[in-house]
Amino acid sequence: MASGKAVDAVYHVDIPEAAKKLRELFYCAHMIHSHIAHFYALAGPDFVVGPDADPAKRNILGVIEKVGLEVGGEVIKHRAYAQKIQEIIGGKATHPVCNLPGGMSKAINEEERKQIEEMARSFIEFSKFSLKLVDDLILGNKTYVDLITGDTYRHETYYMGMVDENNRLNFYDGDVRVVNQRGEEYTKFKPKDYLNHIGEHVEPWSYLKFPYLKNVGWKGLVDGADSGIYRVNSLARLNATEGVPTPLAQEAYEKMYEVLGGKPSHATLAFNWARIVEMMYASERLLELACDKEITSKDIRVIPTETPTEGVGCVEAPRGTLYHHYWTDEEGMIEKVNLIVATGQNNGPMCMSVKKAAQGLIKKFQVKEALLNMIEMAFRAYDPCLACATHTLPGQMPLEVSIYDSKKNLFKRLKR
Amino acid sequence: MKTLILGLGNPILRDDGVGIKVAKEIGRRLISSSIDVREASVAGLGLLELIQGYTKVVLIDSIQIKGGVPGEILPLDLNDLKHTIRLSSPHDVNFATAIELGKKLGLNLPREIRIYAIQVEDISTFGENCSPSVEKAISGIAEKIIRGENLAPSVPAD
Repeated sequence: MASGKAVDAVYHVDIPEAAKKLRELFYCAHMIHSHIAHFYALAGPDFVVGPDADPAKRNILGVIEKVGLEVGGEVIKHRAYAQKIQEIIGGKATHPVCNLPGGMSKAINEEERKQIEEMARSFIEFSKFSLKLVDDLILGNKTYVDLITGDTYRHETYYMGMVDENNRLNFYDGDVRVVNQRGEEYTKFKPKDYLNHIGEHVEPWSYLKFPYLKNVGWKGLVDGADSGIYRVNSLARLNATEGVPTPLAQEAYEKMYEVLGGKPSHATLAFNWARIVEMMYASERLLELACDKEITSKDIRVIPTETPTEGVGCVEAPRGTLYHHYWTDEEGMIEKVNLIVATGQNNGPMCMSVKKAAQGLIKKFQVKEALLNMIEMAFRAYDPCLACATHTLPGQMPLEVSIYDSKKNLFKRLKR
Repeated sequence: MKTLILGLGNPILRDDGVGIKVAKEIGRRLISSSIDVREASVAGLGLLELIQGYTKVVLIDSIQIKGGVPGEILPLDLNDLKHTIRLSSPHDVNFATAIELGKKLGLNLPREIRIYAIQVEDISTFGENCSPSVEKAISGIAEKIIRGENLAPSVPAD
């Protein structure tokens, strides 16, 4: 979606309203698809089965055992609905082929619209259920609440997210807003100006760069107001807003911040909770768009007439703010590309989170097997897409934790 | 009886897309309404969603094993993946876990799942063509899978 918007910008074309709505509708389905998988299959095992549970049980199968088969069926059904909507609009769900310079390749008809509306209503019910699950299984358990709100998984950083004209959440379009550690607006900018605000630090030991707020400066892997480290993704997005523009999601948003002790929240594990608040917003917004009179309009594309040059496209990907920047020749052939992806922007924070979790969890030479998972929880909360961020394809995720004493002698090594 | 031939991979990452190319080649040669040929770039839960409702599924994907010869086929089945039933990525669940989930939920899963893994050479360069040794093997691999899975009738290769 970011690339589609970047190509529009390259051709200096403003797409028709109906095309914007179709893209946003598609994108809400995409967000739901991603957030369901993360909450139920990835974060779910930590909170439903338990962070120190037997690894053989700490997976989606363990979650289903605990919450019931029926819930598993609902998870699969709603994932399939989200794919179906993306297929209707995009031709295919993965690698869709609907965005063209100037708009969309095809409109949807009334029958398809009705199908989408029905699925959107079902998403809202499923989101309500998921929010209740957070209440019952996580908030009802003091150990989990302490884990989420405690210091082990906490960093006071800047937060970035896209907002509409009222500083409310928007995944598809708007300005980029950054708030500071107290939740005050630090800056707000047009996506095309991202290079004035984001710098990229390089470390020799990482394939990934370390984006940071240029005007604050790179001070290393530390949090606080003097460090340019900022976070993106669900909780960061909500921190960067002044609200959510749909009623049920706004209610869930207010409740979340009440439990977390106010806005912004610095609790890394609350990224998982924020995903469910966002899932509700995406569901409600999807229904609004499905019921919009213009959504079946055939006016979905303008033919670009300007000579292509350079353009930036920006959206909120499920994992955070995503920038695509293309430079082309006069025939539209790409000569240079710059991408700043969500996982890259969370690279510094992820490193900090792993360090802090390890420091908080290893006490008096006691190193338990569960440490591997509890450290993994620190970076899993960011839902990192490392294959995309580094362009390497590791397949499996090996994990090794080496623990050194104060004299840098190896004390113990855990791995899988 | 409905069969799905599913080519997996990334079609713009050279040999990573060989599964998709082989599936397309099989699709080109088959004339049967009971066989669907699809391509996908998904794993785990995404695959589970795609294979529901079929009696038999043939998955074709790329693999890199030590000492493997590019273009060589490794027939696998689900038992070969059993040892990986746990959360192995921070981003998705693996296929074996997804299948176990589908069974528990009573989904209409295929009675038979066959997996063909094709040894590849280059999965780190962007490009739509496979490396020469893998590209050369595609037609023969398609024929072997058609015969091995009794997918006839087929039309001859060019």
